[in-house]
Amino acid sequence: MEALNLTTTTNPPLSKSLFRESHLLRSTFKPELIPCGVKTRSRHRSKNFSFTFACKLKTPQDITNNDKSISKKIVLSEVAPPLGEEGGKGTGNGKAPVKSGRGGGAMGFVKKFPRKVLAILSNLPLAIGEMSTVAGLMALGTVIDQGEAPGFYFQKFPEESPVLGFFTWRWILTLGFDHMYSSPIFLGTLALLGASLMACTYTTQIPLVKIARRWNFMDSAEAIRKQEYSDILPRAKVQDLGVLLMGSGYEVFLKGPSLYAFKGLAGRFAPIGVHLAMLLIMAGGTLSATGSFRGSVTVPQGLNFVVGDVLGPSGFLSTPTEAFNTEVHVNRFYMDYYDSGEVSQFHTDLSLFDLDGKEVTRKTISVNDPLRYGGFTIYQTDWSISALQILKDDEGPFNLAMAPLKVNGDKKLYGTFLPVGDSESPNVKGISMLARDLQSIVLYDQEGKFSGVRRPSSKLPIDIDGTRIIIVDAIGSSGLELKTDPGVPIVYAGFGALMLTTCISYLSHSQIWAVQDGTTVTVGGKTNRAKAEFPEEMNRLLDQVPEIVESSLSKEADRISG
Amino acid sequence: MIFSILEHILTHISFSVVSIIISIRLIILLVNESVGLYDSSEKGIKTTFVCITGLLVTRWIYSRHLPLSDLYESFIFLSWSLSIIHMVPYLKKNINPLSAITAPSVIFTQGFATSGFLTEMHQSVLLVPALQSHWLMMHVSMMVFGYASLLCGSLLSVALIVITSRKVISLFEKSNNESFYFDEIQYMNERNNVLWNTSLISSRNYYRSQLIQQLDHWSYRIIGIGFIFLTIGILSGAVWANEAWGSYWNWDPKETWAFITWTVFAIYLHIRTNKNFEVVNSAIVASMGFLIIWICYFGVNLLGIGLHSYGSFTLTSN
Repeated sequence: MEALNLTTTTNPPLSKSLFRESHLLRSTFKPELIPCGVKTRSRHRSKNFSFTFACKLKTPQDITNNDKSISKKIVLSEVAPPLGEEGGKGTGNGKAPVKSGRGGGAMGFVKKFPRKVLAILSNLPLAIGEMSTVAGLMALGTVIDQGEAPGFYFQKFPEESPVLGFFTWRWILTLGFDHMYSSPIFLGTLALLGASLMACTYTTQIPLVKIARRWNFMDSAEAIRKQEYSDILPRAKVQDLGVLLMGSGYEVFLKGPSLYAFKGLAGRFAPIGVHLAMLLIMAGGTLSATGSFRGSVTVPQGLNFVVGDVLGPSGFLSTPTEAFNTEVHVNRFYMDYYDSGEVSQFHTDLSLFDLDGKEVTRKTISVNDPLRYGGFTIYQTDWSISALQILKDDEGPFNLAMAPLKVNGDKKLYGTFLPVGDSESPNVKGISMLARDLQSIVLYDQEGKFSGVRRPSSKLPIDIDGTRIIIVDAIGSSGLELKTDPGVPIVYAGFGALMLTTCISYLSHSQIWAVQDGTTVTVGGKTNRAKAEFPEEMNRLLDQVPEIVESSLSKEADRISG
Repeated sequence: MIFSILEHILTHISFSVVSIIISIRLIILLVNESVGLYDSSEKGIKTTFVCITGLLVTRWIYSRHLPLSDLYESFIFLSWSLSIIHMVPYLKKNINPLSAITAPSVIFTQGFATSGFLTEMHQSVLLVPALQSHWLMMHVSMMVFGYASLLCGSLLSVALIVITSRKVISLFEKSNNESFYFDEIQYMNERNNVLWNTSLISSRNYYRSQLIQQLDHWSYRIIGIGFIFLTIGILSGAVWANEAWGSYWNWDPKETWAFITWTVFAIYLHIRTNKNFEVVNSAIVASMGFLIIWICYFGVNLLGIGLHSYGSFTLTSN
């Protein structure tokens, strides 16, 4: 009955109001030191606030550990009751977190202020609100086209016909929704979420684990029967139960007639790990955003570039390194094709030279296989055709520059033009050559009529209006992306930790208490996640507990006496 | 050639089995529950599972890469993982409300994948350069497993909402009628009225609340599993993106929506930890998650925007 009464007082709204009331009472009421005994329990409904407090902070554990809790001072605390899984459950086996340290007057205010902030930040509804805001802003970011010029938004979200009646370009440009993922609102919400993560870990999760770690025996069958799951085994021995529990993976502790067993304690720790991993990822992401260099370059085969010229800093923490003097030479760019003619892979053979002109490394990169050297990474991301090498009437070879053509959609198409005859005349005529990839080149004559297709590898001549052309080679250029990112190791560490701790979080922390009372064993238990599987598991286990038959009992008694 | 014939046969078998199951389910729904029919529909699901497995294996051998490269293949994979989720409880002889959700899900996804809507995608395509990585298997299979279990879990929550809202309505109606009745007789006070009410419908209520508890619990557990898969899927995708695109996070629409899905289910799991919130609140969040999964999984692909649009994927940097 006492425990039931307790449940009513641990109701957060009620206790919160009591906190506020007690503040006023503080001047007249010294917070009393109340020995946590059973006798105060019955009076907890009295009007005295300090009594109510005493009860709030008391849990059934105090019944068993009377001696321990007497020495504990109970102090009025500003911290909101924990909102964790155990919050609001008076039957919990632990104590509500008690903050020691008492401050009065100005000093107390200074001390209390950050605690107040912590309490606000660790508030679950606030955290949920933050998460929803982040989700909503991200969704908005995918709906509104990102990174366009202001003119685009003037046109798409005009003031005359606002979307949903109010949403115009003014909103987008003032709130920075044209670059949502770097807008102050979005980043601010993320930072707030990070602060909430920290506050929650500090004020709620760690105290919860401290409670869970405590091995506490329950000596009274009554307390055990109040657990979420309980059963009474007549004619059984608590030791047999202990062995069975050990067999199914429980840590079992026996003290006289009482037993305590638990399993899956890691499931309690893991959520802290999840939060820390999230913070690690956030920190790594911030470092990536402020301390990295990026840049992309399109280099024709056979040319080179210096890494430092391509890379541009992204934030105030970006500092160039020695490796930026490295010179990159594109030895070769080529593509692999499927039998059907589609591109299967792009390759670029790169050589890196240091300041002295010595080759330091060489690698053929492709999509999904970048080159890493001295802190920077070179990715294969794009390609184009830079030139056609041809022989005209066995003269040459000439290099004809290829230009990208926008004809239909996003398909890549490159073209070049070889003037024939008088190149001074106002309307020059010539041969057009088009290519979609490095594999085949389509040629058109002076009238624009199709004349043939040649492969650069075939060296087969083509005659167009008396001009003999041999396509020697199609020279591609490789689109490379370069970056340095000091945040990646931190982010990856966060990723690893997050994966691991999310998996562990699935474990359910189960606790079982039992007490031997004559030949009867009272068993009770609870678990925090697998609430449907736990009773089944328990029933299965308890079915296996051997029943002590009367005769054997008497035999044993005979043996002892005899 | 032989592969495409085999693939054809398997597709047709699974489709016809699925349509037979649909009709059986409808009969069960209309007529009273008969054990024989129920068993046959379970056998049908098993047949479908075998067929889909065969289909996936054939495609794998035929195209020499994992059958996860486009929407059609991932849809088939989705129904395959749904049928796995359906069959796992049977192996443990553990019958729970989950099967009532997974079986129709298998039917719908498989029916949708094989019906005419996605026909032009049926022929297996060659892998574009960006997809040629060992991460493909890890990332896509984890994502689809995650989607499948999150869909199941959130559907259970939808069922919960439907049941509770019906309960509220029926309670409301009952109390209305009875209070009217008692007003006429005028010797029952309000307190008795409440007692009368509860005793009348208490036995029905008991089973209802049992069912609600079951639904709530199973949706929590399934979403928990799905959340793990989704986390691993997103993170492996990020690592892959750092290999292929040069950045672990690009704010690509698909990525963003996957992250939104993740956030919504994180909200769900947080609401679950707090006893102050009612069961219905978390269920509402989960059913919002249901819609968001579909936007993420299907909507973004349908629009064909961003780096994840497999159909029109070419080697581009944004």
